[in-house]
Amino acid sequence: MEDDYSSIWSYRLKWLYTLLVVVTLMLPVFYVMYISFNENGFGARDYEFTLEWYGLIFSDLLMLDALRDTLFLSFLTTIIVLPMGIISAKLYKTTSHPMVVVSLMLSPLFVPSDILGSALLVFFKNLNIAFNALGKLIGVSWFDTWFDLGYMSAIIGLIIYTLPYVFIVILITMGRYREQQTEAARSCGATAWQAFKDIEFPQIRTGVFSSCAFAVILTFNEYTRTSLLKGGFDTFSTVLVSQMLNEGMSEQSYAMSSLVSYIAIIVIGTIILFTLVRRERLERELKAKAEPIMAR
Amino acid sequence: MKTFFSRVLFAMPIIFMVGFFALPLALTYVWSVFERTMFWMKPALTLFSYENFFNSARVENFLASMGHSSISVLIAFVIGFPVAVFVRRRIPQVAQHRVILLFILPFAVSEIIRIFALRPFLQRNGLVNGVLLKMGVITEPITAILFTPTGVIIGEVMSFLPFIVFSGFLAMEAIPKYVFEICEDLGAGPISIFVDIILPLAAPGIFAGSLFIFVNGLGIALLPNILGGPGAVNAGLIATQAISARDFPLAMAVSAIMMTTLLSFLYLGHRLFNLTRILTPIS
Repeated sequence: MEDDYSSIWSYRLKWLYTLLVVVTLMLPVFYVMYISFNENGFGARDYEFTLEWYGLIFSDLLMLDALRDTLFLSFLTTIIVLPMGIISAKLYKTTSHPMVVVSLMLSPLFVPSDILGSALLVFFKNLNIAFNALGKLIGVSWFDTWFDLGYMSAIIGLIIYTLPYVFIVILITMGRYREQQTEAARSCGATAWQAFKDIEFPQIRTGVFSSCAFAVILTFNEYTRTSLLKGGFDTFSTVLVSQMLNEGMSEQSYAMSSLVSYIAIIVIGTIILFTLVRRERLERELKAKAEPIMAR
Repeated sequence: MKTFFSRVLFAMPIIFMVGFFALPLALTYVWSVFERTMFWMKPALTLFSYENFFNSARVENFLASMGHSSISVLIAFVIGFPVAVFVRRRIPQVAQHRVILLFILPFAVSEIIRIFALRPFLQRNGLVNGVLLKMGVITEPITAILFTPTGVIIGEVMSFLPFIVFSGFLAMEAIPKYVFEICEDLGAGPISIFVDIILPLAAPGIFAGSLFIFVNGLGIALLPNILGGPGAVNAGLIATQAISARDFPLAMAVSAIMMTTLLSFLYLGHRLFNLTRILTPIS
């Protein structure tokens, strides 16, 4: 009979396999990082360490512009999508039709980016035509540019992309929260906002912070929807892709890819570590509280 | 006591998703029967775009990419699902989520970078060939990987594998641990536990993860664009190519066909496995 302790080697082997899968998934990215430090670029026989290619990124004005636009886009998307995620998670817990909420919020995961992107593109173009016609009819022009492709349309596309992730992360952290605490706060005279801010939010803070980081990283990395809906401006990913498709992988694109990967890995890694450390501390505290004083 | 204001506030995400997600996707069916004009389209009732799709190489490409996607699903399942089973069954409860969190790490890196990175990785003078040559496994570099359907399948597995781990783990979490203990006490072997217990009970999660991989393999244009050659064109690539050729009705027809495929699979899966069961651990 197989159990955890009968065969330590099969247990170790399975652990090794799990780690191997993770490493394999990351291997191409690590390889790109390795190439990015090579003076001679990809495929060269000699490897000479250099930081030259990283310096090139910051002298590229087009790149810096795109970087600024991308950060702006991520920032705006995140501050809109976070409250939406919290509200929809609360709605899921209180509504009498949770299945409707959950399927509407999670279904964007199943619609591929190019399909949703093209549908939204045609949708916005049609809205634009309709609103322009309406404006002409009643003789005002102030909503002529509402649905032009630009920041607005890109942000809407990005919200639809990130909302499922934000929703699910917040929902999981909310799982430990008991609705009775809100009720207790309300019957003590707190307003709904106070009850949320002082009682509920501190308990779901980890979820909110991690979904915030997810939203920033997902929007920063997103390519397809943004490139279809962006209109005039460029983002980091669109510059990178056009560079790669036009000139092939240049040394600079290796460096750019590596740079964003470092930042993303560091951010996500920190969050994972932070969440783990926090949970461990909470568990220790809970255990300490559960033990009677004499037992210590 | 609910005020009007709080009702509106709580309805906002729903209104947003209906207005900017469900509505545009539903309208693709309407736009797909419009007539193509020089730069845009005009209202009409014509099946020209569908004819255009079904009477050309597009439909063959679409069916071929369905085949590639199914192979990727199978490979991802064989590689990824055992990880979910192992983590759920053999790792202490408190540590389970930490191990699963490891699989988020690849997602931190942009999809385009992960896909592009496969090029130097699989290229003629790339890492895989270099290592295999040095080890003496092959004498000539393998060139039949990149820019073929094989390259696309490798790309799909590398990009989507974590999803089968996540959804598989979520599905395994719904199975109480004592079920396995009972099975082992009653003398069931690993194979019969897998076939008779794990597969039926984790079916909704496995189905959701597989459908996710299948649909994204069909719909993400970047994969065949970067890794595939002439033989690998999927629905997403057909749609984006139609958009850049300003054939909007065709793009909408492709989207409508994709949506129909997705919805029929979802319906089928729901009838067979009752997909609401996936959500038991979080509700």
